[in-house]
Amino acid sequence: MNFRAIATIYHAEMARTGRTLMQSVLAPVISTSLYFVVFGAAIGSRIEEIDGVGYGAFIVPGLVMMMILMQSVSNAAIGIYFPKFTGTVYEILSAPVSAFEIVIGYVGAAATKSLILGVLVLATAAFFVPLEVQHPFAMLAFLVLTSVTFSLFGFIIGIWADNFEQLNIVPMLIVTPLTFLGGSFYSISVLPPFWQTVTLFNPVVYLISGFRWSFYGVSDVDVGISLVAILGFFLACLAIAWWMFRTGYRLKN
Amino acid sequence: MSSIISISGLSKTYQGGFTALKSVDLEIGKGEIFALLGPNGAGKTTMIGIICGLVTPTTGTVTVDGHDILRDFRQTRSRIGLVPQEMSIDMFGSVKAAVSFSRGLFGKAPDPAYVEQVLKDLSLWDKKDSEIRALSGGMKRRVMIAKALAHEPDILFLDEPTAGVDVELRQSMWQVIGRLRERGVTIILTTHYIEEAEQMADRVGVINKGEIVVVEETGALMHKMGQKRLTLQLAEPLTALPEALKADGLELAADGCALHFDYDTQAERTGITTLLARLNEAGLSVRDLETSQSSLEEIFVGLVGGKA
Ligand SMILES: Nc1ncnc2c1ncn2[C@@H]1O[C@H](COP(=O)(O)OP(=O)(O)OP(=O)(O)O)[C@@H](O)[C@H]1O
Ligand SMILES: [Mg+2]
Repeated sequence: MNFRAIATIYHAEMARTGRTLMQSVLAPVISTSLYFVVFGAAIGSRIEEIDGVGYGAFIVPGLVMMMILMQSVSNAAIGIYFPKFTGTVYEILSAPVSAFEIVIGYVGAAATKSLILGVLVLATAAFFVPLEVQHPFAMLAFLVLTSVTFSLFGFIIGIWADNFEQLNIVPMLIVTPLTFLGGSFYSISVLPPFWQTVTLFNPVVYLISGFRWSFYGVSDVDVGISLVAILGFFLACLAIAWWMFRTGYRLKN
Repeated sequence: MSSIISISGLSKTYQGGFTALKSVDLEIGKGEIFALLGPNGAGKTTMIGIICGLVTPTTGTVTVDGHDILRDFRQTRSRIGLVPQEMSIDMFGSVKAAVSFSRGLFGKAPDPAYVEQVLKDLSLWDKKDSEIRALSGGMKRRVMIAKALAHEPDILFLDEPTAGVDVELRQSMWQVIGRLRERGVTIILTTHYIEEAEQMADRVGVINKGEIVVVEETGALMHKMGQKRLTLQLAEPLTALPEALKADGLELAADGCALHFDYDTQAERTGITTLLARLNEAGLSVRDLETSQSSLEEIFVGLVGGKA
């Protein structure tokens, strides 16, 4: 293993985040916090409790997940797309590093950033709504697993994308709708039975449900199933990334 | 001379079906400066890309210092530094950070003294803390060279190092290359210009349409390529070439207004002096004169044609 190369990529990516602190840290924290203010504190007081949890508190895990998903995907996608776009990727490809090492460097940095954001948003949320965390370790595990998995997913999008439009299309057209419909704002038990079944095909449901369980001990689907679902998605992404590097897909001619 | 890069049967067909390299065999000697000379689209960048890991070969093998470029890519790539043809450099961050990044990426422990030396060699030391986007184009190119040298490679690829570079920078680049050669670094550079190959290289490989046409010691090749044409514009048109002037390589232009004289720059005697003396004797006055070298393309045609 070329650990030094991994560390070098990781640090360069973190430095990139550091250079754009406003856009990459402050913006997502503020925009997510606006949801707490509007839906939690303002409108939330007029909405009845769900599963015994006040509405303001109920939506926090879903919102954190939504933010982490979006940030992981877009940050990791840009991280590898940009060098590809500007041509500087030649240096990575000509270096004595394996595909695996490149993935660890880029995805590790994107996931770290998502984790930091997640913690910041949770801390901000605690100002606006009463939060309790029943299973802190499970919460952390979901946070880490989601950050890593969706950073990996974003990395794949970044390699696949040929232009900026494609780069944005997956986060906008797939990730956002799936998170909105994934039970961020409601328990899927309020849906008619048919739509409940349809919803179970949405992978984000499992993430949000599991994450919310780690806070309040209530969930739409079994926590074990949630874990298996996200692990499965992680392995699928890993396999795709491995295949991409092995074949040089959209990276080498 | 033991060879450091061995290329055998290397070919590349791109996805669209275009064959950019056709079964190339080539040996690069340890410590030499090798110039790869060829017109646009000849396959120079493709060949370099394969050796450095940017392009996957279709058939054939390449070994670097005895290691296969695909199987032992860590071994081969850690020995190679690449300065690509296109300007591709991250515009953000400082010069020093960019060079340190390259060193780390190649798995080398930080060595500020070495990095300092590289930057000084390339006259970049006083710009070490500048943002790269604030540098001039020539300086950015030098930063790319510094990045390629950051991990102390044994082999340096320079893909058209002098494209878009002014005379001064070109000179300092030659100096850097000269110093690297003294240290035993093998250098492979590509160029469109014969003079450039002549000035620097120990050996020259001419590539055309994906095939190596000739590989030769620079001196020997220059001899082959040394044909030049002297054109003399006459003050008064001639109807025929006077007897007294008749000589090898001299002919009258169709309109009678000019004389063309083909000569060999590498020959002991070019015959120019004699020609001018005879013109004088014959009482012909010359209005203007120019010399021209056969273009690279013409030379390729000549070389390829000569072989067929
Ligand atoms: N990615 C690609 N896909 C398809 N064809 C390509 C690709 N890259 C290069 N080619 C073709 O392969 C041929 C060789 O290209 P290459 O870049 O190796 O030439 P070169 O000798 O470096 O030329 P130049 O002097 O212009 O840099 C060209 O005809 C080019 O169009
Ligand atoms: Mg080229």
